[in-house]
Amino acid sequence: MTAATPPAMQPSGNAANEVEAASVVLEGAPLPVATRIGLWVGVQLVVAGLMIASGAVPAGQALNAAAGWWIVYAGVVDLGTLGVIIWLIRRQGHGISYRGLLGPPAALWQVGLGALGVLAATVPAVVFSTEVTKAFYGDATLPMFAMVDVPVWASVFAVLVVPVLTELAEPVAYLGGLLPWLERRIGRSWLAAAAVVVIWAAEHAFAPFLTADGGLDLVFAGYRVVSVLPFLAVWTALYYAFGRRLLPIMVARWVFNGGTALAVALNLV
Amino acid sequence: MHRRILYGLTYLAATLSLAHHIDHVIRHNAVGWPLTGEVNAFTMSLIIYPIIITGLLLYRAGRVGPGFWALVSGGGAVFVSLVHFGPTAVEPPAMMLHGYDSPIVGWLAFTLLVTFVTVLAVTSLYETRLWWQQHQERRTLKPAAGAEGKP
Repeated sequence: MTAATPPAMQPSGNAANEVEAASVVLEGAPLPVATRIGLWVGVQLVVAGLMIASGAVPAGQALNAAAGWWIVYAGVVDLGTLGVIIWLIRRQGHGISYRGLLGPPAALWQVGLGALGVLAATVPAVVFSTEVTKAFYGDATLPMFAMVDVPVWASVFAVLVVPVLTELAEPVAYLGGLLPWLERRIGRSWLAAAAVVVIWAAEHAFAPFLTADGGLDLVFAGYRVVSVLPFLAVWTALYYAFGRRLLPIMVARWVFNGGTALAVALNLV
Repeated sequence: MHRRILYGLTYLAATLSLAHHIDHVIRHNAVGWPLTGEVNAFTMSLIIYPIIITGLLLYRAGRVGPGFWALVSGGGAVFVSLVHFGPTAVEPPAMMLHGYDSPIVGWLAFTLLVTFVTVLAVTSLYETRLWWQQHQERRTLKPAAGAEGKP
């Protein structure tokens, strides 16, 4: 902590400090985001290829069969993202650290309370997403959950390890990295925030991608983008509301994503 | 800076509230007095406008701070959520989605509602953080002022 660092969850207080908080910019910040999208596509193709090569599934069903493992290989996507972030930090050298990308410090109880606030503020997004799901798929289980078919060890990995990796990588790549980078280039925070939300939502079109009727399932891809948009908008707004502190958002997202992974593993969805 | 953001968020929330009330009037479901004889959640929700106007005047005069706005927006978020979402909702999302002949308009109205509640919730958290900062600053300043007064 430097002398210029504001104390826990408080006086960031004036405009100058808020601007200073945003001045930690990761050079090359689009790279982790591009890596994520590339890995979503690349890893699924590799898994599909392995399935075809081993004769486990016919070629026509390989992509959807590979997608059944998405809650597991999401960990590879997050590890790759984290690796690129750390590489960029080391390349940039002094004045930047992984902790610095998470924003000003906050006490543990403030992070916990903030996380509860994030979960409460996410309720409207949950309602919206539920209605969107009903409009697209009625009462049927979502394809991305219905197709998950992995052994117990993989479910345990998906519940205990992947959500942690996701929080260490995904919000840091978008809110800690890309957003300040875009703010510096565009000069307008609201425009940068809107761009981040759109790009972040677009990533979900590939996580995973499915096939239907011999082609890519564009309806599912569209559904994924629309249904996550409100979540991402809320979390981005809260990033500003909390004075650019990422930790409360990361904790709340971990509860949310970990809970979803657990529900999928226990066949509760 | 923070004052300007607080005003901006208050005006945004008030505009979304007004738009949601207009949506109720157009759909003409779940409305109450003064449009019908029944006093219901719609009627009670109209009290928000005098509260906002009074709050703005008091805030301008320095009589209330972010804590007041955190309570107003947080209370608003809880009230609107209870009325529209969850098992006890008197006007669940389906009433809005199917409230218009065109499903697109229904979805627009529903999106407006979700945006409205989200803005209230985010605003409440932002104002709570401002209130906490001011509270801490006052606590820091008090002992310092006391120390200066000592011989």
